[in-house]
Amino acid sequence: MIAWLRNPWGRPRGLAVVTGVYVLWSILPVAIAILFAFNSGRSRTTLQGFSFRWFTSQAGVFHDQALQSALTHTLLLAAISVAVAVPLGVTLALGLQRWRGRGSGTVNTMMLLPLVTPEIVMGVALLLLFLKVFPGLGLGTKAQAIGQVTFTLSYVVVIVRGRLVSIGRDYEEAAADLGAPPHDQLLRVLLPLLAPAIIASAAVVFALSIDDFVVTQYLSGDASTTTISMLLYATARGAPTPALNAIATVALLITLATLALAFFVYKRFAGGGDAAVAAVLEV
Amino acid sequence: MATHGEIQLEQLTKQFAEVVAVDGIDLHMPPGEFFTMLGPSGCGKTTTLRMIAGFQRPTSGRIVLDGVDVAQVPPHKRNVNTVFQNYALFPHLDVAGNVAFGLKYLRVTKDEQRKKVAEALDLVQLGDLARRKPGQLSGGQQQRVALARALVLRPRVLLLDEPLGALDARLRKGLQVELKTLQAELGITFVFVTHDQEEALTMSDRVAVMNGGRVEQAGSPREVYEEPSTVFVADFLGVSNLLTGEASADGDGCALRVGERTFRAQQGATGERGEVKAMIRPERIGVEAHSASGDNRLPGLVERAVFLGNSFELHVRVVGGEVMKATMPNDGTGIPVEEGTAVTLHLPPEALRILAPSSSLSEDDPRVASTK
Repeated sequence: MIAWLRNPWGRPRGLAVVTGVYVLWSILPVAIAILFAFNSGRSRTTLQGFSFRWFTSQAGVFHDQALQSALTHTLLLAAISVAVAVPLGVTLALGLQRWRGRGSGTVNTMMLLPLVTPEIVMGVALLLLFLKVFPGLGLGTKAQAIGQVTFTLSYVVVIVRGRLVSIGRDYEEAAADLGAPPHDQLLRVLLPLLAPAIIASAAVVFALSIDDFVVTQYLSGDASTTTISMLLYATARGAPTPALNAIATVALLITLATLALAFFVYKRFAGGGDAAVAAVLEV
Repeated sequence: MATHGEIQLEQLTKQFAEVVAVDGIDLHMPPGEFFTMLGPSGCGKTTTLRMIAGFQRPTSGRIVLDGVDVAQVPPHKRNVNTVFQNYALFPHLDVAGNVAFGLKYLRVTKDEQRKKVAEALDLVQLGDLARRKPGQLSGGQQQRVALARALVLRPRVLLLDEPLGALDARLRKGLQVELKTLQAELGITFVFVTHDQEEALTMSDRVAVMNGGRVEQAGSPREVYEEPSTVFVADFLGVSNLLTGEASADGDGCALRVGERTFRAQQGATGERGEVKAMIRPERIGVEAHSASGDNRLPGLVERAVFLGNSFELHVRVVGGEVMKATMPNDGTGIPVEEGTAVTLHLPPEALRILAPSSSLSEDDPRVASTK
């Protein structure tokens, strides 16, 4: 056994075992949750048979008005977050990359703050902001979108800056040397080279937006601004049936589909160039 | 000869936060010539090139290109192109796309563009690789694409920043010859930056040897090698033996007193008086039998004899304790030598050159040490 694990010429079996155990452990709860979405009984703990009733019956998620509305709202918020956070984040990353003067270090560090701030703190802070400082804006879709952009923006900046640093200034200089004015240096050279990072950050923002509960909950208005994660939470506190698992399964599928799409788009456009971005997407 | 592509640098200076990278240099780069800036890393050659390209803004001074000062013109409006050290080919475009990149700004039709791209690729013998991506090319091929991408725009001046640095020795030799041929054919001024003295000597019409942000000497390869005017140039180009001594008047040359001995020197700054440095190349030293006598001769003991095939390289410890290097051709006429052989070195007056002090003083400058 020890020899099998420690064979220095063979594959790193010890690492493989640890990795395998972790992967199983992390998938297990999700797999069980999905399994019970197909339970024919009402129990979420005892498996009674296989059925699609929690998806297709009158009580199933496909006929659930609240779920339909939550799904639409979740996708709307995700679309807004991507549409605002990605262009804004790319612009900020470009600006920070070029800004070499006093204060650039401070701003760089501050860009990372939303990544480490506890979400509950950010949620409460944003709520106060919308209630006391900008009461005219009101709670609801607008506030939720602004809140999500606020914390997803940092991810875009971090991902795009990482790529910018690895690209360096050489290609821009080469473009300038060949006669390209500044906006062409950006459009013909820098943006195509940044495409993998931009796609990756869009996928990350989309996934973060769909998954987010705390900020979105705090800034929600009426029932029409309920998202899937909020619905899941509310249902779980009430009288949960496998319909809850069915909702979770639907949410999971949307997230996975987004990441898969982003990964394939990335593979197609980047030709497998940037290992770091590929790693983010493959997770 | 070409009538444009002439560069005149006037008191060009670039100061970074605390470092003066280029310290008020004046250089004339004649049209249609292969001009090389040679020097160790940190001598300011690349910064100078980047100022000519427009990537760095001079702190002061003028860059006159064909009579117009372009020092404050942004890089995309200058009629000069660059071959970068790492090539900087656009990885998202294929070879043809890379070469066509700059043609967009020359207002030529699509048909003309295609024609020019094909011509440029033929020029560097890459016609069949037009659809490849840079990542699929070897280093030498990438280098040719970078060259084609710049030359297709017919710049007045082509700037080359150590373009052969990343290639292996055999490829380098081949490309050195090709670059030189290409330059002569096209008649475009090439400004070449390198730290490789052999490259500089074999390719250039003119060489500027730089050190510490200044030009030590500019001239033809032969001039800078055979008539180095400063200690730095003598030391940096090829192998030289340096002697320190007292110079005094002696007819048309000067007499150099080194320790107990006096040598006649007829080359270089023979008007200098007082403590000076003199140099002689190993291949100009005559290696004679120990019994030989006469002027400008110095006895010594062979410490190492390295057989190089067509010659011997001798390290001779001379009276006074210093080691001098001498090259003895293996033409059958030389005396037999091995380690421990006593020999006499002949330093002909017409090969012994008195050097002017360097224009710039640096910490490791031998004169700084000797005056302390």
